[in-house]
Amino acid sequence: MLFRVDPASSVPLGDQIAACVRGALADGSAAPGERLPAARELADSLGVNVHTVLRGYQRLREEGLIELRRGRGAVVVPGAAAPDRARLVARLREAAAQARELGLTEEEFVELARTSLA
Amino acid sequence: MNPAESRPSSAPDTPPAPSTPGAQAVPDAPVRFGLHVPFRLRVLTALPFVLAAAVTPLLIALWSDRLPDPLATHFGLDGVPDGFTGPTAFAVLAAAVPLALGAAWTVFTHRSALWGAWLTSGLIGTLLGLVVRDNLDAATAADVRSPLSHLAIALGAGAVLALAGHGLSRLVPPEDATATGIRISPGAPRLDLGAGEAAGWSRATASAPLTALALLFLAGGVLAALLGPWPLLLLAVAVAVPGLALARVRVVVDRHGLTVRSTLFPRPRVHVPLAEITGADVREVRALREFGGWGYRVRAHRSGVVLRSGEALAVRRGNGREFVVTVPDAGTAAALLNTLAERDARL
Repeated sequence: MLFRVDPASSVPLGDQIAACVRGALADGSAAPGERLPAARELADSLGVNVHTVLRGYQRLREEGLIELRRGRGAVVVPGAAAPDRARLVARLREAAAQARELGLTEEEFVELARTSLA
Repeated sequence: MNPAESRPSSAPDTPPAPSTPGAQAVPDAPVRFGLHVPFRLRVLTALPFVLAAAVTPLLIALWSDRLPDPLATHFGLDGVPDGFTGPTAFAVLAAAVPLALGAAWTVFTHRSALWGAWLTSGLIGTLLGLVVRDNLDAATAADVRSPLSHLAIALGAGAVLALAGHGLSRLVPPEDATATGIRISPGAPRLDLGAGEAAGWSRATASAPLTALALLFLAGGVLAALLGPWPLLLLAVAVAVPGLALARVRVVVDRHGLTVRSTLFPRPRVHVPLAEITGADVREVRALREFGGWGYRVRAHRSGVVLRSGEALAVRRGNGREFVVTVPDAGTAAALLNTLAERDARL
């Protein structure tokens, strides 16, 4: 799995790392059940703080894309649905960014999402 | 000597050409296939084996009137001898084994593996020397006892010598691609990486047959130790544990270079620094035909961590050697490695 971060970008480094995993899952270069590199190792590879990597991993866990277990590290959730879920999350984040640009409040965006579900 | 060069070239403006006969055979190509190992490294590799080979014959000659004939040369778990050899035959054998091993080590030596040569020769030399020491002043060979603690002594001596060997490797200059002036070829795959962008590639890869084989070996060793001589278990552990460690590895490409290590232990690992890399690409590897098997393989001009036949990341080093590791998505890894190596050379 390829990780790339640009410190000059306005996107936080942790989010950039999370985006790499999402992208890898979506394009098939990371498989469901695959183990991600240890946070300390990845931090050393990229020359960033361990906590930055952990922030990215934590975000992926909240999105239901990886599991974090003590001793076992970070593992992509098993199951064939993981790549599609990664794509969905990526699209949602895009939509959220667009909503922010339009000046929508959080409530308005959530309400909009709820209406599109109905 | 090339016939065209046999005329005396005394013109003062001719550049100083290398005068060794082999040098003319190698054209000024961007990639050298000649395997270059510094002479100093060969000497430092051979040295401990020569010392280990000398220990036992020297001890036997020194104590010739205080040793039984034949000598007790093999012992069971309880320290009671179960194998006997004449002093002369044992001296020859005890010299031949380290010399043969030393010859193999000297041919395939590498700067980062020098400690291994010192460890191996230290273990063997100490064990053989201790066997002679056990026989000292014994009335008959059957009275000789060899405690198991000798294994610990040999391991200790081996560890000390391994440290010494590791220290001595500093006397050998590291291979440096930038020093040889070899550049990564323009046609090699690259990754579109921004100037300030940091990138790393990481992938775990496993070999199910190798795992199964190692576990089978371990089970066989336990069984054999229960039914037969106990050293069979040691042998099985010595084969199975490295086998298991090699069956699952993580391959990392980052600003330090290429690193392959077991997912079980952080060390030992195979590391190729960026500065040593003269190019990376993907190729198909055939485990049996090219490397004669699976695992960590060393051949004359290449080495590799070979877990299967198929897609592999191949890295050329400044010393002309190639390192391969079988891993999926090797194309991305090769492109990143070329990009990072080029960036590293520019700094």
